[in-house]
Amino acid sequence: MDIIGNLAHGFAVALSFQNLLFALIGALIGTAIGVLPGIGPVATISLLLPITFGQPATTAIIMLAGIYYGAQYGGSTTAILLNLPGEISSVVTTLEGYKMARNGRAGAALATSALASFFAGTVATIVVAGSGPLLTSVALSFGPADYFSLMLLGLIISAVLAQGSVIKSIGMVVLGVALGLVGTDVQTGQQRFTFGVPELSDGISFVALAMGMFGIAEIILNLERPEARSVLKTKVGSLWLTKEEWKRATPSVLRGTLVGTVLGILPGGGAALSSFGSYMMERKVSKNRHLFGTGAIEGVAGPEAANNAAAQTSFIPLLTLGIPANAVMALMVGALIIQGIQPGPRMVEAQPDLFWGLIASMWIGNVMLLVINLPMIGMWVKLLQVPYKFLYPAILVFCSIGAYSVNNNVFDVYSTVLFAVFGYMCNKLKLEPAPLLIGFVLGPMMEEHLRRAMLLSRGDVMVFLERPISASMLAIGALAMAAMLLPNLRKGKEAALTG
Amino acid sequence: MMSGLLPRRAWLAGGAAMAALPAVARAQAAWPAQPIRLVVPFAPGGTTDLVARLLTQGLTARLGQPVIIENRPGAGATVGSAQVAAAAPDGLTLLMSNVASQGVAPSLYRNLRYDAVRDFTHIALVVENPVVFVANPRFVPRSLTEVVRFAQEAPRGLDIASSGSGSTNHLLIVQFGQATGARVNHVPYRGAGPAMTDVIAEVVPMMSDSLPSAAGHLRSGSVRGVAMASAARHPAFPEIATFREQGIDAVSNSWFGISAPAGLPAPIVERLSREIGLVLADPAVRARFAEIGATVGALSPAGYADFVAAEVEKWRPVVLASGAQVD
Repeated sequence: MDIIGNLAHGFAVALSFQNLLFALIGALIGTAIGVLPGIGPVATISLLLPITFGQPATTAIIMLAGIYYGAQYGGSTTAILLNLPGEISSVVTTLEGYKMARNGRAGAALATSALASFFAGTVATIVVAGSGPLLTSVALSFGPADYFSLMLLGLIISAVLAQGSVIKSIGMVVLGVALGLVGTDVQTGQQRFTFGVPELSDGISFVALAMGMFGIAEIILNLERPEARSVLKTKVGSLWLTKEEWKRATPSVLRGTLVGTVLGILPGGGAALSSFGSYMMERKVSKNRHLFGTGAIEGVAGPEAANNAAAQTSFIPLLTLGIPANAVMALMVGALIIQGIQPGPRMVEAQPDLFWGLIASMWIGNVMLLVINLPMIGMWVKLLQVPYKFLYPAILVFCSIGAYSVNNNVFDVYSTVLFAVFGYMCNKLKLEPAPLLIGFVLGPMMEEHLRRAMLLSRGDVMVFLERPISASMLAIGALAMAAMLLPNLRKGKEAALTG
Repeated sequence: MMSGLLPRRAWLAGGAAMAALPAVARAQAAWPAQPIRLVVPFAPGGTTDLVARLLTQGLTARLGQPVIIENRPGAGATVGSAQVAAAAPDGLTLLMSNVASQGVAPSLYRNLRYDAVRDFTHIALVVENPVVFVANPRFVPRSLTEVVRFAQEAPRGLDIASSGSGSTNHLLIVQFGQATGARVNHVPYRGAGPAMTDVIAEVVPMMSDSLPSAAGHLRSGSVRGVAMASAARHPAFPEIATFREQGIDAVSNSWFGISAPAGLPAPIVERLSREIGLVLADPAVRARFAEIGATVGALSPAGYADFVAAEVEKWRPVVLASGAQVD
């Protein structure tokens, strides 16, 4: 079947009532959490994981994906109107977007953000549809050695790109890998690091770890701070862009889409990195770079296009190689495995409904988000007034039920609590939890591929250097590590990440 | 989330019955008065789960009480089995017993928390299916004799993949190596799916897989059947020669049945055995099983108990030879 035929099939799947409904639910939840500062898509998806178990895999993934790109839309609303980034990826949107709002162009900034996201989302969907199957055939030529090197590269990059100290993030990656290795050894069937606890024989529960470290820990952190949400005083104003604004925004959207599409595919990349990347680029190449800092529309259009494009293209490594590019994708791997689906190159062939349905739903989701965000902006602003004292207890109750229902096991509820405390401590010690989650997911896979490669080569380590794919991955990884040790490059990264 | 809560309610009901002994007597009088919980010791979506779901549809209609599947995966299916072994013999807790937890585990696990024969009331064998050797279509050796010669002549021996250490698929590779003296290198995977991916991608040339999981790939031609570990040629794949035909005495079946905790009252055993027999006699059910390459088994409760005991003895030397051992 050709791409058009496949896409038609995908739309047939995505347009079924159930999938449409859950795409809408996902988009709505995503927008809501995007608007609310504090709770990000990683936290939300980890909290909602248990709900998806009862659904068909396609529906589950469509909903979770909707949350992810919905959050990219919603995050910009709070950023523009309140100068509060609802999402890490919308930090840069506050820089120019809030200034635009102060200048009385809030409506124009919101419209720019929504339209740029929509355009970038459409382009990225086409890229995923076009390149996915192609990359899948490339992926089938990956042997165990190549997978190992690619995953090692992913871990290095996720450590290098994390905020704060590189040493600390490497530590978190290694700790994540160690936690991932708890349980039954695949090669021999022996139990490792279980300390005689039978509940650990199949490893630490992914849901408990993700929900505890991301969801509940984040709630504890938010409780620490007093509720500081000033209701908007600025008027939204007209949503229409002037001719001049159109002219200025268009090239930025195109550049942002390109940056986001490329950075999204890279391991360790994703929405946050792309919006920073795009903002840096606009500040350098835009014709109106002297206006940056005073409410330049380019500084909204570019990053907003980039973060949405990246949110979508970061599905490519997941759908073709089964390798998560960032923490959200690591959660998707977990969701798929719980559904009994092994993400990997055979997914296009074995799960065409899921693959093409997800792609089609990405575009449908973008249409929905455009509708949800532009005319309904007033409603989302009201959402900022729901007191946390109602929101948080409700979330905690659902988390406990969720953790229990995965295996009908109280042990998992206790693990969730433990990881919540641990996640809170990590935050206090400025230790990033995202590299840990990526290590947790990639670690066991990496070990498996390492040992399989060694088994097939009869113990010859040279196999990692003899295979061209593997050798190039290792070379890139070594370069990335070396680059981080050079002081001026490190400074550049800090400048980019702190805006 | 509701689906997650339902088995819990059934579990509570079971626990209540366990606490009050008279409840057991009452349950006996009008069995089944409450929903029945069928513990499937594997994750949803696998062969065991599929077999259980096909069976419970018919069983629910015949018993007049819902038979609810509770997936309790873990530690080679021994977690769910241990749980049922410790449950009350009131007919409200059943187990999808199988070759992994009842046949292989007694020899594989040093500290198993149950006796595969004595701690259960074995009721009925449901289905059996053979293990099959498949190869990438481009792998040159065709027959087992040619495969053995290849394994002897290749400088590094022959790699064969399986769904995991200690599985019947792995043990057939061990049996094959023992019988022929071929230099075979076992490459374990985390489940049959990823192993099949690597066979299709020619990372590993051959694989030992259970027939239901390989059937789709054999039909689509993405892999080629080399030898079937059944006594006679399989009706669904008559073109694949058996191990015996090719001079190697290896018959290896995966099997699934229904068992309960030890001491299940005789009337309940008889009723269950009869109803399961009637469900399995349904042509539609048989056709669904045949589609996935599984054959319906017909054994009396006593026959199934003997069968399990024989399986435990059959696997002991094979597991010993494989060197696999888990604490």
